[in-house]
Amino acid sequence: MSISQAEASKDRAIFFDGASGRRREVTLTFDARLLLHEGAAELAAWPYSSIRVADAPPGKRRFRSLEAPDLARLEVSDGALADRLIAASPNLHRGTLTIATERIVLWSLAAAVSILFIVFIGVPYAADRLAPLVPLWFEKRIGDAVEGQVGAIFGRRLCTKPEGRAALDKMLGELGGAAGLPLPQAAVVASPIPNAAALPGGKIFLFEGLLRKAQNPDEIAGVLAHEIGHVVHRDGMRKLIESGGTSFFIGLLFGDVTGTGAALFAARQLLEASYSRAAERNADAFAIETMQRLGRSPAPMGELLLRVTGDERDRPLPLSILATHPLTGERLETLKRAAGPAAGPPLLSPQEWDKLRAICGS
Amino acid sequence: MSSPSGTIPLPVAPPLSSSTIRLPGSALPPGAGAEPVRFFARAAAFLRLVIRGALLQLVTFGFYRFWLTTAVRRHLWSHTSIAGDAFEYTGRARELLIGVLLALAVLSPIYLGYFILGIELERVRSFLSLPLFVLYFVLAQFAIYRARRYRLTRTIWRGVRFWMTGSGVNYAFRSSMWMLLVILTLGGAYPWRAAALEGYKMRHTRFGNLVGSFVATGDELFRRAGWIWMIFFCPVIALVLGSLSTLDTVEPGTKTALIIFAVGFGLALPSLPFLWLVFRAIEWRWWANGLRIGGVRVASDLGRDAILMIYLKFLFFAVCIGMVGATLVLMAIAGVSSHLMAPMGKLGKAASVSDLALTVSEIGGAAGLVLIYLVTFLAIGVVQRFYLQHELWRAVAQSLRLDNLDSAANVVAEGVPVGALGEGLADSLDVAGF
Repeated sequence: MSISQAEASKDRAIFFDGASGRRREVTLTFDARLLLHEGAAELAAWPYSSIRVADAPPGKRRFRSLEAPDLARLEVSDGALADRLIAASPNLHRGTLTIATERIVLWSLAAAVSILFIVFIGVPYAADRLAPLVPLWFEKRIGDAVEGQVGAIFGRRLCTKPEGRAALDKMLGELGGAAGLPLPQAAVVASPIPNAAALPGGKIFLFEGLLRKAQNPDEIAGVLAHEIGHVVHRDGMRKLIESGGTSFFIGLLFGDVTGTGAALFAARQLLEASYSRAAERNADAFAIETMQRLGRSPAPMGELLLRVTGDERDRPLPLSILATHPLTGERLETLKRAAGPAAGPPLLSPQEWDKLRAICGS
Repeated sequence: MSSPSGTIPLPVAPPLSSSTIRLPGSALPPGAGAEPVRFFARAAAFLRLVIRGALLQLVTFGFYRFWLTTAVRRHLWSHTSIAGDAFEYTGRARELLIGVLLALAVLSPIYLGYFILGIELERVRSFLSLPLFVLYFVLAQFAIYRARRYRLTRTIWRGVRFWMTGSGVNYAFRSSMWMLLVILTLGGAYPWRAAALEGYKMRHTRFGNLVGSFVATGDELFRRAGWIWMIFFCPVIALVLGSLSTLDTVEPGTKTALIIFAVGFGLALPSLPFLWLVFRAIEWRWWANGLRIGGVRVASDLGRDAILMIYLKFLFFAVCIGMVGATLVLMAIAGVSSHLMAPMGKLGKAASVSDLALTVSEIGGAAGLVLIYLVTFLAIGVVQRFYLQHELWRAVAQSLRLDNLDSAANVVAEGVPVGALGEGLADSLDVAGF
């Protein structure tokens, strides 16, 4: 076949009927309908209102018809002929499943706003409501799993010297009694990191490093009371629900846009920081109340935290909104304001305090 | 059928494509029946499309990705033609969006089950749940197969649809088993895995009533690219030799020799990224030469250097953009901190910096940083789409020639479009391809 001659001709086009891959040269006749003839045979008659555009390479126009098989295509190379066909067809772009860009932008914004609403308000709310509903046995199972990992990372080196253990249990008993709870579960981990943590399920880990930095029993008691506060508020479970929900929805928002991995991470950090700031404040409030009931001052706990972290008020970098814990200075003020005279008996005798500090045998 | 190249009266002259210039020693002689694949490169139009897409992604929080992906595919498909007839991509963004929503419905219970199973396994033994990530790999393989199926059923040539039979589950199983073998052989089995998987895909590929096949073999790929795999072992060998040389039992002379070998292998390390690119080029060409549809044979004379240049250009521009972005971020941080420090240091008005001003500058600074970050990555995305999609597509397409195309002249249309669940899963699992 000689394509060049056929296509150069003014009323010629290429037709694929959508039933076979045969390439047909057709003549177009602009009658009441668009008539497609191959030689003398009429291949198709397209009502002008049914004609739509299809994607075409540069220099060509492609048309399809709603009244023809889905993939039937008419390909026109001649500019004038294509223009004539375009002028004759009133609905070229109707219902082609394309959406105006402004509408995409608008709906995206709406979706983003609703996702942000869910993440900032819905997820914390749901976590607040759901955390207490999670059965304790299930939370304990999660706690066991986390404990196993903590053990694997820190070498399962729990400090168990009997006299130290007795002192710790005495302190825990006092704190639990003041809060109206059964004996809280706690263990000391032989690790130089000055920290403490409450796992889902209620187990508290005190790191030896914090004991080393502490100067009196009230400092440690305050920290333990703070962690008991986390346990009572079921913050571990809440955090789990919050971070799970947040990653799910933020992931939904960004999908796989190049490089959003880091943005996603940053957004999550920001959100989790804001969640945990509230949780820390509540745990502090719990610690203040418990210590006050025991007639001890909550202020030493703040002093211990200050000693551990240094004064964050001096830091110039604009990163305080990223801090997981509230500014230690701010918490210190709160704890100081709640400080009263030590009216109650000391929680531990000097001997017991020494034993507790030596629980790991150093 | 006579070759139509040059005879189609285009209003704009077709670009001089390398496919019309045959270099000596190319895979196929410019035979009478060989039909070149043409790609009408419109680099400026494509760049406009992806830049606009990147900006719209910025204001749509990334939701525009479905429309951008569709626009890119429509552009590439419609600018590629065989024997004067261009492809058409009939997929639409709305389908991809629905695919993602479906994928969410499928993935949510899987995530939850994964979570609970993970906890139970962790209770038995710490980190026992780590192998569960294998599930994601298997799921990703399923997604890759189904996404290919979606793309193929939206690919039209001469009014006839491409389509696919076979099963995504079956493919995921094969792919995972082969992956296990690849891991066990430290990558040595890769060529046979590639051949087996491409074979499965192509055996189940249809163009109308024509059945596809894949004739390239793993042996062939290994013969061509096995040396790269050997060199990839250098780091391992260096490590082993290095640790051997520290043993006391080894004789001093042997020890010196081992150290020299280890240092030599260690020095070869920086060439690994380039070797990887060379491997990609070899693999592309091997793949293209193995494609068959019905009686149509595909041949490719894809040049190694061309592919290498595309990747290097991409790397160059991506690194440049990255450095500009990093510089801006550093300048912004320096600016914000000096703004905060200035009143305290020089003017002695430390108290005048109110908490409110601090918060405002904090939020403004953070927002600025995020913006710089996003723009940087969207710019890299533009460069990536241009080089690793447009330019790579152009290079591969223009290297192809089809033999015995006449056997496809009277193909009977068959096959129906399938849903975009696979695309949605691929998007969610971050394994999306073209």
